[in-house]
Amino acid sequence: MSRLRITGGEVYDPANGVDGEVRDICIEDGRVVASIPDDAPRLDARGLVVMPGGIDIHAHVAASSVNGARRMLPEERVRDLAAAPELEDGPGRSGSGGTVPSTFTTGYRYAGLGYTTVFDAAVAPVSARDTHAQFDDTPIIDAGCFILMGNDEYLLRQIAAGERERARDYAAWLLGAAGGYAIKIVNPGGVELWKRNVREIRSIDDEVGHAGVTPRAVLETLADAADALRLPHPVHIHCNNLGVPGNVATTLDSMRAVEGRRAHFTHLQFHSYAGERGKAWSSAARQVIEVVNENRNLTADVGQVMFGPATTLTADGAVEYLLHASTGRKWLNVDVELETGCGVVPYEYRERAAVSALQWVIGLELFLLSADPWRVVLSTDHPNGGSFASYPELIRLLMDRAYRDERLKRVNQTMLAGSALADGIAREYTLGEIAIITRAGPARQLGLAHKGHLGPGADADVTIYTPNADRAVMFSTPRYVLKGGVVVVEEGQLRRAPATRRLHVRPAFDDAVTRDLRRWFDRYGTVSFDNYPVAPLRDPPVAEGA
Amino acid sequence: MSAASATVEHATCLGCGCTCDDIAVVVRDDRIAEARNACPLGAAWFGDGTVPGEVRARGASVSLDAALDAAAALLAGARRPLVQLAPDISCETQRAALAIADRLHALADGVTSSTAAGGVLAAQRRGRAGATLGEIRNRADLVLFWGVDPARRYPRFTTRYAPDPPGLFVPEGRAGRTVAGVDVGEAAAPPEAEPRVRLEDGEELDALTALRTLLAERTPSSSADALAKRVAPLAERLRGARYAVVVYDGESSVPGDTRRAEGVIALVQQLNARTRAALCTLRAGGNRSGAEAVMTWQTGFPMCVDFSRGTPRYRPDDGAAAWLRSGEVDALLVVGDARAAPVLPADDVPRVIIGPRASTATPAPAVAIDTGVAGIHDGGTAYRMDDVPLPLRPSVPGPRSALDVVGALAERVRRARGERGA
Repeated sequence: MSRLRITGGEVYDPANGVDGEVRDICIEDGRVVASIPDDAPRLDARGLVVMPGGIDIHAHVAASSVNGARRMLPEERVRDLAAAPELEDGPGRSGSGGTVPSTFTTGYRYAGLGYTTVFDAAVAPVSARDTHAQFDDTPIIDAGCFILMGNDEYLLRQIAAGERERARDYAAWLLGAAGGYAIKIVNPGGVELWKRNVREIRSIDDEVGHAGVTPRAVLETLADAADALRLPHPVHIHCNNLGVPGNVATTLDSMRAVEGRRAHFTHLQFHSYAGERGKAWSSAARQVIEVVNENRNLTADVGQVMFGPATTLTADGAVEYLLHASTGRKWLNVDVELETGCGVVPYEYRERAAVSALQWVIGLELFLLSADPWRVVLSTDHPNGGSFASYPELIRLLMDRAYRDERLKRVNQTMLAGSALADGIAREYTLGEIAIITRAGPARQLGLAHKGHLGPGADADVTIYTPNADRAVMFSTPRYVLKGGVVVVEEGQLRRAPATRRLHVRPAFDDAVTRDLRRWFDRYGTVSFDNYPVAPLRDPPVAEGA
Repeated sequence: MSAASATVEHATCLGCGCTCDDIAVVVRDDRIAEARNACPLGAAWFGDGTVPGEVRARGASVSLDAALDAAAALLAGARRPLVQLAPDISCETQRAALAIADRLHALADGVTSSTAAGGVLAAQRRGRAGATLGEIRNRADLVLFWGVDPARRYPRFTTRYAPDPPGLFVPEGRAGRTVAGVDVGEAAAPPEAEPRVRLEDGEELDALTALRTLLAERTPSSSADALAKRVAPLAERLRGARYAVVVYDGESSVPGDTRRAEGVIALVQQLNARTRAALCTLRAGGNRSGAEAVMTWQTGFPMCVDFSRGTPRYRPDDGAAAWLRSGEVDALLVVGDARAAPVLPADDVPRVIIGPRASTATPAPAVAIDTGVAGIHDGGTAYRMDDVPLPLRPSVPGPRSALDVVGALAERVRRARGERGA
């Protein structure tokens, strides 16, 4: 039996109402427990800040698209090579970084920031096997993935035929077959249209390839499915018209469309633009966040843009074509198997560029005008808005108004007229609120009962920081990181890489769908139906159907 | 085992990069009697499922323990070892082999650098607009074979993917698609291709430029005028396609020359300004695409990795063949079927071969450990030419699995280097 008492730390455990109180955390066999014997080993945390391990609700770390990005962009990694860490529990592995690091480096660097759980937000089901293999080579962090469904031709046809129950059964089957955790929608119907060379969606009531099938119908169907299947995380939505000026209309319509259902809207920043294509852009952050604030069925992550290099990488293929055409930078596109799409273009957000500055401001506005940190959490849509390595800097921007205002003065002001941030927002996030938007909030949104808190029964994933007025310094170099009760990082040094866990669901469905699917696969598939599901995962599902 | 026959359905064939997963392998007396649905190339790849099961050191039979000890000593003592991922092993085995390379601070490579580097390097300059094979099957209304007829090296490509089978958006199948062709010297498109352009070898790059000029609706330079006239009908058809697919042979690249691949990539990317188009790069079998994927996620680079300084340095201008030629390599570990590895240099480089038919290599390697073939005797995962991962369904018992042997070797290498265990 392994035990550890973390003593005397200032604990931030918002899920249990603990906001900076000094108390001990007791750990036994990888879990937090109420008490352990006094003679158990101790870890002295006096004067230090103790939080649950970080949880990234939306990142791209292990999909086929991610490996496509690595392959296309060697130049950003040859400048950032990483030697194998000297670990106490086995050989470490070397790797390479940049904005899309190799798998081992991804795991080590997340852990180095105090993150212990990460979700890959966009996995094509036909390639799910690839994602699980990459996860197997991603050390320390527990991981799960969201399965792309919003442009799946079989699903669209069920909607067209009015077979919404069949659509739900399909979603359930697909989650199990892919070893996924949640239903993901990317540009509902829009990716299928891109494959048909239709590059614009005006509203969520446009038809997308089939009579009666619209983005609205896709949103409704899959939001209903996630609710009916009692999935731990609601449908995870990347709206139509990402990155397009004026897209606020689509975003707000999409939020209204899922009224009465749970829904998570991802990387809101990229969907909060007023203005018109080819004309001026401006911030619509206030409009969007007010709707989120008022509607408790909605959760969101921000998708903050950070200045510096990024890799844009999405199932939203049409967006990447536009970026390629406008920047002239290299471009990867993969249309995937009647399921989804994929595009990758490298990008750089520059302080002096008007659009970059506007995007940076909009993200911060969303954070600072959010009324409920439990429902609006931190992300950069890694690596789209910037690397996860920039999270400490982002935390500093949220916690330190003087620093933020100083940075704001340096950015291009062209498009900032009328912006709430430019007008001045005094809010500074507290440590407790940071603990919510990086741990407790994502855990609650994801329905992860054993993560994001430090109460009895929780996974003993713990991050311990040395307080520092410079919050970027504080959050970039944790004093200790524990994963499942094991010290994995100490003063910036990786110590151990314990076994990781796969987070997935296996909802029940009416087996009639598989008979129909066999016919569909026989006719249109290039992978045998029997070869499609991933091998059974070692870890039991987080949620399972009856 | 009894004489009864059994059939393994949905087996995956690694005979070429098509990676057909609809093979029914009929087994009698632990021998493959038939590989139903397989093409001749696939049937030859399956064979009757018999492979040698020897363990040898310098040509003499030894115990597996002795062979592993000898291999570990040789590799751990080498100054500049090279680990090569050869065909016919699973991704799981590739991952384990690359872990050894990392620990040894070795050079590491697959076979791509010797046969298909042009496409990889070109895509690192420009990216590429592609699609999975299912998308091509279901959507392509124009298939342009650029200097390749898949019939010989990718026999089921045309019947399984395009242009023959009906697709969701091409319900008429072949009748619903235009098959166009460009012959480049001796490299001819399928005989049925029409429209068709015949190019001399030296004309290919100019033809690609001329096509792009026409598609951009710019006026070709007068010197290119004649060529532009010849490719103009093709440009017209490409422009008019709903979803055009350009198929070319990724295995035909001339080492060090990325111009052809770049030209084809640029053409397809440009087509997407007006219509939709995808490039389909044909790749050979044996899970070589898997080796690229594994190297990419583990190191960040798809081939030509040098771990000698403790980090994965990318050396795309070199690679296994160049390193062997240079004489710097003092020990070679081949994991996979060594027959498909690059031509070996002077016999004085000691070799450890772990893989199918290792014992048949000549001259006799320092250590040869025969293993099963991925997809025939060993399970695991392999990647199709379009990077779609597929499960392997072993059908007959074989010698020890490659994954087990590589795992055992990793442990011995650690011990030989005096390191802590996993």
